Amino acid sequence: MLKRIVAMLLFVAMAMTVLAACNGNTTPGTTKGEVNFKVPETGFDAETPITITFMNTMGSNLSTVLEAYIAEFEAMFPNIDVQSINGGGYDDVRDTIVTEITVGGQPNIAYCYPDHVALYNLADAVATLDDLIESQLTVTRADGTTEIIGLTAEQKDNFIEGYYTEGTSFGDGLMYTMPFSKSTEVLYYNKTFFDAHNLSVPTTWDELEAVCAKIKEIDPDSIPLGYDSESNWFITMCEQYNSPYTSATGDHFLFDNEQNHEFIKRFNDWYAKGYLTTQTLYGAYTSGLITSTNGVESYMSIGSSAGATYQRPAANSDGSYPFEVGIATVPQVDANNKKVISQGPSVCIFKKDNPQEVIASWLFVKYLTTSVDFQAEFAMASGYVPVIKSVAENEGYADFLSKANGGNYIAALSAKVCLEQADAYYTSPAFNGSSAARDQVGALLTKCLTMTGDDLDAQIKAAFEAAVDECEYNS
Amino acid sequence: MSAKAMSVMQEKDLQKTSSVQRVTQIAVRVLVYAFLIAMAIIVLFPFYWMIISSLKTLDEYRLSQPTFFPQVIMFSNYAEAFTTASLGRLFVNTMIVGVSSTLLSLIITVLSAFAFARLEFKGKELLFSALLATMMIPGELFTITNFVTVTEFGWRNTYTVLIVPFLVSVFYIFLLRQNFMQIPNELYLAAKVDGTTDFKYLWKVMVPLSLPTLISITILKMMGAWNSYMWPKLVANDAAHSMITNGLRNAFTDTTGDVNYPVQMAAVAIVSAPLFLVFIFLRKYIMAGVSRSGIKG
Amino acid sequence: MVDNKQQWKAWLYLSPAIVLLLVFTVWPIFNTVRMSFLENYKSLEAANGAVFSFGLGNFVKVLEYKRFLQCLKNTILLCVTTVPISTVLALLIAVALNSIKPLQKLLQTIFFLPYVTNSIAIGMVFAAMFNIVGSFYGTENEIIVTAGIINNVIEFFGGQHINWINYGSTYEANMFVMIVYIVWNALPFKILVLLGGLQSINRQYYDAAKVDSTPRRRVFTHITVPLLSPMLAYVIITGFIGGFKEYTSIVGIFGELMGPADDAGRLNTMVGFIYDALESNNQGRASAAALILFFIILAVTLVNNWVSKKRIHY
Repeated sequence: MLKRIVAMLLFVAMAMTVLAACNGNTTPGTTKGEVNFKVPETGFDAETPITITFMNTMGSNLSTVLEAYIAEFEAMFPNIDVQSINGGGYDDVRDTIVTEITVGGQPNIAYCYPDHVALYNLADAVATLDDLIESQLTVTRADGTTEIIGLTAEQKDNFIEGYYTEGTSFGDGLMYTMPFSKSTEVLYYNKTFFDAHNLSVPTTWDELEAVCAKIKEIDPDSIPLGYDSESNWFITMCEQYNSPYTSATGDHFLFDNEQNHEFIKRFNDWYAKGYLTTQTLYGAYTSGLITSTNGVESYMSIGSSAGATYQRPAANSDGSYPFEVGIATVPQVDANNKKVISQGPSVCIFKKDNPQEVIASWLFVKYLTTSVDFQAEFAMASGYVPVIKSVAENEGYADFLSKANGGNYIAALSAKVCLEQADAYYTSPAFNGSSAARDQVGALLTKCLTMTGDDLDAQIKAAFEAAVDECEYNS
Repeated sequence: MSAKAMSVMQEKDLQKTSSVQRVTQIAVRVLVYAFLIAMAIIVLFPFYWMIISSLKTLDEYRLSQPTFFPQVIMFSNYAEAFTTASLGRLFVNTMIVGVSSTLLSLIITVLSAFAFARLEFKGKELLFSALLATMMIPGELFTITNFVTVTEFGWRNTYTVLIVPFLVSVFYIFLLRQNFMQIPNELYLAAKVDGTTDFKYLWKVMVPLSLPTLISITILKMMGAWNSYMWPKLVANDAAHSMITNGLRNAFTDTTGDVNYPVQMAAVAIVSAPLFLVFIFLRKYIMAGVSRSGIKG
Repeated sequence: MVDNKQQWKAWLYLSPAIVLLLVFTVWPIFNTVRMSFLENYKSLEAANGAVFSFGLGNFVKVLEYKRFLQCLKNTILLCVTTVPISTVLALLIAVALNSIKPLQKLLQTIFFLPYVTNSIAIGMVFAAMFNIVGSFYGTENEIIVTAGIINNVIEFFGGQHINWINYGSTYEANMFVMIVYIVWNALPFKILVLLGGLQSINRQYYDAAKVDSTPRRRVFTHITVPLLSPMLAYVIITGFIGGFKEYTSIVGIFGELMGPADDAGRLNTMVGFIYDALESNNQGRASAAALILFFIILAVTLVNNWVSKKRIHY
């Protein structure tokens, strides 16, 4: 049997060689750096029926909100039929679209993270939005009113800048995505405890260190700070120190530098003193530490602004909470130049043979991202924050924000903090390999926190080098 | 060995053996039970965990110190599971795909296993080895090619695409071949002399004799339909053809994109119940075996 | 002695399987081989009309990977430990289950339950069993919130808790957990197959043994095992094939890190490597790795087959 199989395999290999050799030698034919979608001069055709698909990750509670606004949009443009598709989780959406692209069956619009778009761009599949955004051509709605295809100056200014510029983080200066709904990291703290011991909420890392030391004195069995995401921590520190992390062009992986070694070493020292832990090191959600009311507790927790309800202790039988939770901006290197990470889904529009589909998709995306009411309702239903500043004009949302407290309305409190730091958001460069870099720096930080011994510098250096190697191999 | 034969043996043994042997017998018994019960507990634990998780609140589920019994029993998770996901539709779809793919797959498997076990043809060994070899490449690499194929066939968003591509399983052909080969050749030759056709022999003798294995294959195939996720999501993501796992995974994502696991577990428990009843029913056939038919040997 | 009619008939019986396999298995394999020989093949670039040159670059790239040997070692180690252990355990359970009278139905039903248990639940249980929740292990600040069920049991009997999967854990401890997990996962299927096989054993053999009053152990080694050998061979061969493709179980325990927090990737396997490559759309590299894996599995299966040829009694 062995001989036969080997013979069979040899045959296949030879056949392959012949076949493959016929393919010749050419380089990939992608063009980058120029606008790949131009609005036709005739503008939008509001007559011919057209169907566009929107792939997202919304569960049933969020799709209810979306469907209501789809209905409104379809009433404005009766020839457009919008279909929302639940594509599973974010990774599922990415994998589905990567597969669909091979047969040209990708949806019109999709939820995306920047690294997904970088992947789709290998096939040059995502439409650039620059020409759409600038288009002054008018379209007529069903009720006779008109709007321009592009964004007005007010609409542009209304976007929270850090969210909006994420669309241009692909290294060629072009706009590929629109922010849909966002989240960030915030510092949750046990307000009752802080007030009782006269502690002030840290705004810088130096202050945080001092507060941790004090908490350790008050409650030696505690872990003062729990940090959820090691990756976010590393990337945010690079941004705050303005030290290189990655670049979308040229040499991608720049994070192995002195400044980064420095802060890692400092955090290693904090870990050795028992000041903090992270989700991976702790072996469970760090929110479980701050919400704990017996045994080991933490008094500060840095986690997603969208997960505020997880950072609140379980209610007593009378509905009150054992302690009040406070929320603040995450600690900074320079309190006057704040930097906080921007997360959460954006949307991208795929190129199609029929330019009308692209325009219709754009009109829908524009509608969702600039509509105060949609942004407000979606934000309240999802726990994410809206991407436009004027959202407080929505009565419901203003009311929601006014109720903000560290108990029942903790989600509102979180949203309020996010809106107040609107000028601090940053995004990292996106390219094929940026998600690998993200994973690597998270693992790197985790590993470095636990290092001990005299040759710390050498260990840290080696770990950085290994992480860069791994990134380069996977890109 | 059946329980009955065992006990008969036991009685005879007891009559003629000394008390020392009797003690050993009992000790062996105790050991066997202890072993089985210990293993049963281990095997049962995840099932228990699934049930208690389905009754927890989301907060309790997220505790860093897992609880072994829900602090507050949330039967409402089950109600929520029922209302959030359109379980009925998902269930019907999955049944359609599960039953039809199991039946077709059984037929194909029986025919192929028979050819490999009983018929002589050139290249039999080579072909069988080649089939085994196909199992050695991770199936994830086939996804894109198969996706292109079914798209070209125009099969997207149909039941066909959920049933046909995975009808042939080399695993099952191999399993049934092993079983068929155990059936003594004399039976086949005798049938030949009597002028019985191959086909008749296959359905009248081999299939009944291999019933336990066929039932095992049925169970595995049905479970496959119940658990399939990635492929249905890619090729049939419209509501009309949604399968149970897809519906369940997607329905309970909460605000942060996290899954509401307790409700999801409740939903899983609900949809597993009918399947479990079917298994209990089929179990009888597996355990009844072929001993009573007395054809063998 | 192969007559023509039987030839023709055999192919007829096989035709449905062969047609489907050609379309949905052979053709994708053919494509896999093709992609593996195209330099830096990415399906997305190909969709955009890019053409790739022929070469062995993908294979070189796979073999160059620093952790390649580690992946291979993990894969092989898991395979050679879990397959024998799970097979022997499943055999014992199946035989025991078949030999008892009281509680037989109940126990049989229990051993069927894993089939209706969701895989997420299985992963969660394991986390609860081995995961230590806490921080600062081995320092004066050490905090342990919960040490996991297994450690609780160990401590109950006066032992020291063991760091199974968290940071600072040893490779041996990690491997132990993986072996237990994989064996546990594999048991239900094997019990099912072997139980089915046991039912096909002719009762007459046992009756004969009874007449000769053959001791139990001899009945087991001289009747049960040989007569069950086709099913045992099946379970072992498919076990090895599946074992070489181990990946999801490691994600289940260690998450995407594929190792303890201080040594990500320590437990990565060949298929884990393939997944990583697919993640960045490196189909060419993934295909090359799959072919290398294929040749390894093939070699092992050939040995398996060769051994079983000598030992199986049909």
